[in-house]
Amino acid sequence: MVRLTIDDRPVEAPDGATILDAARQLGIEIPTMCFMEGCSPSTSCMLCVVSLAPSGKMVPACATAAEEGMQVQNDCPQVRAARVMALELLLSDHAGDCMGPCEIGCPAKMDIPEMIRRIAAGDTASAIAVIKEDIALPAVLGRICPAPCEKVCRRNQLDEAVSICLLKRFAADADLASAAPYVPPRSTAKKKRVAIVGAGPAGLSAAYYLARRGYDCTIFDDRPKPGGALRDGVGQDRLPHNVLDKEIEQVLRLGVALRPNTRIGRDESLDALCDAHDAVFVAIGKTTPEAAAELGLKAAGKGVAVDGATYQTDRPKVFAGGDVIRNRQLAVRSAADGKEAAEAIDQYLCGQPVTGPEKPFNTRIGQLEASEVEAFKHCASTEPRQAPPQVHAGFEKASAIAEALRCLHCDCRKPDDCKLRMYSRQFEVRAARYKGPRRSFRQETGHPEVIYESGKCIDCGLCIQIAAAEGERLGLAFIGRGFNVRVAAPFDKTITEALAVAARRCAKACPTGALALKQPEG
Amino acid sequence: MMDAVDLTFVDETVGRVGTTADKVLEILQAIQSHYGYLPREALERVCETTEITPASIAGISTFYDQFRHSPAGKHIIRVCVGTACHVKGAGQVYDAFHRHLKIATGQDTDPAGLFTVEKVACLGCCTLAPAVQIGEITYGHVAPDKVAGVLEDFLRHQEAPAARKRAAASVAADSEGELRIGLGSCCIARGSGKLNEALNRALQETGINAAVKHVGCVGMCHQTPLLEVVLPSRGTFLYARVEPEDAKPILLRHFKVQGLRKKVSNTVSHLLDDIMVKEDGDPVMRYAIGVRDKPVADFLAKQKHIATEYCGVIDPVDIDEYVSKGGFEALEKCTRQLDPEEIIGEIERSGLRGRGGAGFPAHLKWAAVHRRPDETKYVVCNGDEGDPGAFMDRMLMESYPYRIIEGLAIAARVVGAKVGYFYIRAEYPLAIKRMTTAIEQCRARGLVGPDVSGQGFSLELKIVAGAGAFVCGEETALLASIMGQRGMPRLRPPYPAQKGLWGKPTLINNVETYALVPWIIRNGGEAFAQSGTRTSKGTKVFALAGKVARGGLIEVPMGISIREIVEEIGGGIGSGLRFKGVQVGGPSGGCVPAKLGHISVDYESLTAAGAIMGSGGLVVLDESDCMVDIARYFLEFTQDQSCGKCTFCRVGTRRMLDILERLCGGEGRKGDIEELQHLALMVKQSSLCGLGKTAPNPVLSTIEHFRDEYEAHILKRCPAGKCRALIRYSVTDECIGCTLCAQRCPVDAIAMRPYEKHEIDTDACIRCDTCRKVCPENAIRVE
Repeated sequence: MVRLTIDDRPVEAPDGATILDAARQLGIEIPTMCFMEGCSPSTSCMLCVVSLAPSGKMVPACATAAEEGMQVQNDCPQVRAARVMALELLLSDHAGDCMGPCEIGCPAKMDIPEMIRRIAAGDTASAIAVIKEDIALPAVLGRICPAPCEKVCRRNQLDEAVSICLLKRFAADADLASAAPYVPPRSTAKKKRVAIVGAGPAGLSAAYYLARRGYDCTIFDDRPKPGGALRDGVGQDRLPHNVLDKEIEQVLRLGVALRPNTRIGRDESLDALCDAHDAVFVAIGKTTPEAAAELGLKAAGKGVAVDGATYQTDRPKVFAGGDVIRNRQLAVRSAADGKEAAEAIDQYLCGQPVTGPEKPFNTRIGQLEASEVEAFKHCASTEPRQAPPQVHAGFEKASAIAEALRCLHCDCRKPDDCKLRMYSRQFEVRAARYKGPRRSFRQETGHPEVIYESGKCIDCGLCIQIAAAEGERLGLAFIGRGFNVRVAAPFDKTITEALAVAARRCAKACPTGALALKQPEG
Repeated sequence: MMDAVDLTFVDETVGRVGTTADKVLEILQAIQSHYGYLPREALERVCETTEITPASIAGISTFYDQFRHSPAGKHIIRVCVGTACHVKGAGQVYDAFHRHLKIATGQDTDPAGLFTVEKVACLGCCTLAPAVQIGEITYGHVAPDKVAGVLEDFLRHQEAPAARKRAAASVAADSEGELRIGLGSCCIARGSGKLNEALNRALQETGINAAVKHVGCVGMCHQTPLLEVVLPSRGTFLYARVEPEDAKPILLRHFKVQGLRKKVSNTVSHLLDDIMVKEDGDPVMRYAIGVRDKPVADFLAKQKHIATEYCGVIDPVDIDEYVSKGGFEALEKCTRQLDPEEIIGEIERSGLRGRGGAGFPAHLKWAAVHRRPDETKYVVCNGDEGDPGAFMDRMLMESYPYRIIEGLAIAARVVGAKVGYFYIRAEYPLAIKRMTTAIEQCRARGLVGPDVSGQGFSLELKIVAGAGAFVCGEETALLASIMGQRGMPRLRPPYPAQKGLWGKPTLINNVETYALVPWIIRNGGEAFAQSGTRTSKGTKVFALAGKVARGGLIEVPMGISIREIVEEIGGGIGSGLRFKGVQVGGPSGGCVPAKLGHISVDYESLTAAGAIMGSGGLVVLDESDCMVDIARYFLEFTQDQSCGKCTFCRVGTRRMLDILERLCGGEGRKGDIEELQHLALMVKQSSLCGLGKTAPNPVLSTIEHFRDEYEAHILKRCPAGKCRALIRYSVTDECIGCTLCAQRCPVDAIAMRPYEKHEIDTDACIRCDTCRKVCPENAIRVE
């Protein structure tokens, strides 16, 4: 046994234990990326560096043996600075987007590439589930959204953007036309009541996501029929009322109550509403500072004043979103506000700190090099953008699939379990701190189980070790040296040939999105 | 379409070399030298017939610079871009070859497939800078306007029928004297091989009875080829820079010609006089110099030869001569009289510290391996001298192979190792050849083999040729390379003394360290410790090169000042410009400015000045050298040589280089210096191995001592007039219109206007510096 201290806490570790092992005994988490139990330490990413007092020497915790009398510093500015730099250096040589530009461009942050993959696979029913994670009224938005997502689509660099909006409409229409339209899973009832003022895109969206979370929601609207600006401000040639009605019906099906012809501030006071509910979401659409004052809420330039991240007004338990706070007249923005406010309200009602939705960490490739556009092309159809049969019409199934096949899939397949992304967020690093030559985006999609994007590789070599241990005939190797080193199959062979048996294990071990499963498990 | 590759050679090689995984480098080297590159089919064949896996062969063959994966031109031109060559314009020479051979951008081979141009980290011929190797021939002092001539000469040489080998005159008992000719790589590059042939021819023709003796490096590389005439009765005459046609006249001057040929003697004597007077400049300097002449006396006065004992006297591969000069006495003493503890004690008393760079006390390492109870242990000699600007180890291996073998054999005896490895850079073919010959000779004498000197301990020695990776100088990477892996360093501990080759305790020391051991054992540790400073004992061998008047291999006592080395031994700056500083320790070292010229050469003082002792490369810089460019140069080198394992070195050095390139390219921004320092400190602190931990030194030391130059670069000015993007060439009123510059300009940026002041088209100018070099009136201004 050896005795040492980590952040001044004494620990006794067995002989041969590493600093990382000893830290785990104390419940101290030392971040690692290239280390994996069962593989020999790569000492590559250097995220696990710790400092040894009193020399100040920096060593990787994953491979440094714990020694008698060692004084390890894990939580100190020097170590933190080194970890931040390790991450920032890795990101400076990272060619991959955490999210596709379309997802980032979408105000509702919908997982567009995943929706497209499902449509391309002919699985329209599951595509709607993906859509409704972020957009409550897809059939509506599929008709009226100006599609900011398409403006930033990488396919523009090749020919024209993928017709994302119409694909969403296709999936939504197919769902509404089906015998049993999609109903999302609902959490158990929370026995808390939320009043929603306004049945426009923001209010309907908030109601949908709050109801899914188990809240008892009531929508108050001063008009006889719900829909707000969607009903009054859009021509029926673009958005027929029957579509709007059907989609609102899907919201109400979740148990959301509707109180039409009720104007808050006139028929019922905000005070009374607050008394009768645990939270109130104000989404009355375009308004004036005077009208806001009439409601008893603090006003700002464009309407009701709220905290930008949490949608909280100056009044306790009252939130506001949609055009009432920003007057953008962009339905998808209002819908996004409703969804985000629902999350903030949920935090508030659960007694958690109200922070609003977490801001995702994103690295972005930016403009693609010519060779990178080529790399993307390989996995997409070369067909031109499909046009619907006539104006205001949607896709048929065949044309929807053909259009979906045009997607370049520039999103990451491991957005949620990529360690590089996770630690980059945790350490609040700047993705673009260092600029300079970087590796190119490359994509290999031929393997039945995994996808390989070497631009996202951090050269940890875990896959090389695993492939060798699993007895791959070909396996993987470090090719080249120094800054240009890449993990690849020997003799320019494909990943399909290299990973005949170990692909799944390699993909699961990969700390980034470089090697990812095509079909996420579970 | 290429023809199918005939794989018979691969099968033969595998049959000859073996099928185990550790043979991979040797097999690849054989394939490369046979086919000129590594054909895919050949590699796949190796995997089918050996234990070597596809993953391993792919990883290894792409790790080392030596290997090519596509066919090369018929001849390979290796342009040395070592430090000394860099400061003397190797970059321009490289560009000139590309231009002259019309090699397309991004390509390395000319359209005809005759020549492939490559950069090589260092040929170790720093005194010939800029040096270029084509095939087996090394050309020194190559300038951009000389590349056409060099290629012509090379092709002529190729066409000439192979010169008939003449039997070297054997040492005759009745010899009237001895002719010593240096055959180190530098000497050969400067023509000592041709001189050797001419001497033998002249001896045959004249019938003079004198022995031609090959000696190793004399150290005076600035004077090569050197010919020393030793006459027992009349003393020694030293001729410098001797041309083959001088051989006969020199012989006739010192030796009596037998019989009828006497008449000829007179005639030729006149001829010699002719040569001496018709030569412009300083004929005496060109031909005969005496050891008592001041420059030579100065060059030698401050030196002390221990590792280079009998320098210029001893035949490198003549084992009898080595034995006659006390060779193997130390080994004998160690096998017959001293036990391992006593030997370690002697080494401890000598204060010997590792000469590879870090200066770890040798006795501690030896004792650590000696203490280990393991049955199997190894000793390794690190001859992977990868620092650009260093050639000490090459010279030692070429000139004193037995001394190194003896030192290693003593170490093997101490630690109880039965197998020893010499890991030698592939760029040093002559060193490999001499060491191989020397090992064979030792084996024939029973000095290595199953029963060394009849003392019952066995020692097998093997040579492993490196394959071009600087990082393999790092000990754990070197061991990985010997074991047939990519040369990736690993975390220490465990140290090689605990877990080295194949997991066994391994002693690894540098060439020079081993070369010092026999002297220490023969003369005692205390005698060695008499030289040097309190903490740094004995002598250190340096490769003195760069802007110094007299470059060469020198061995000086520790504690000598930098100024003494540069000014007294080196004769100051050759060009007459101001001495600016020295770069010590190569890519891991730093620049010591002239104002610190008084500091003592020892481990601690050099480290305090921001440099390191390193392995002993010492490149002298003058005021025409830009320190930002020097830092950029070294970062480009380490960045290229990084193994790529840890983030800080792999990406961090690249980001440092980005900033330095920006500064030299005239795109520096405010805050760049601070950002560079921040990166440098973090890379130094957190990199995994010595390469990364020391890579920032050239940057940090130049920022510390020459910060004003960095600041000038941010203001888009290069004070030394070196950075191409920041300078322009113009013609001053001194121009006499001789058209020399216009004739030589490779891009026709100067119009041919006889007797008129010339003008340089700045847009067309590529800043190759040729005009400035050829101008007889000094009328080219750089600003």
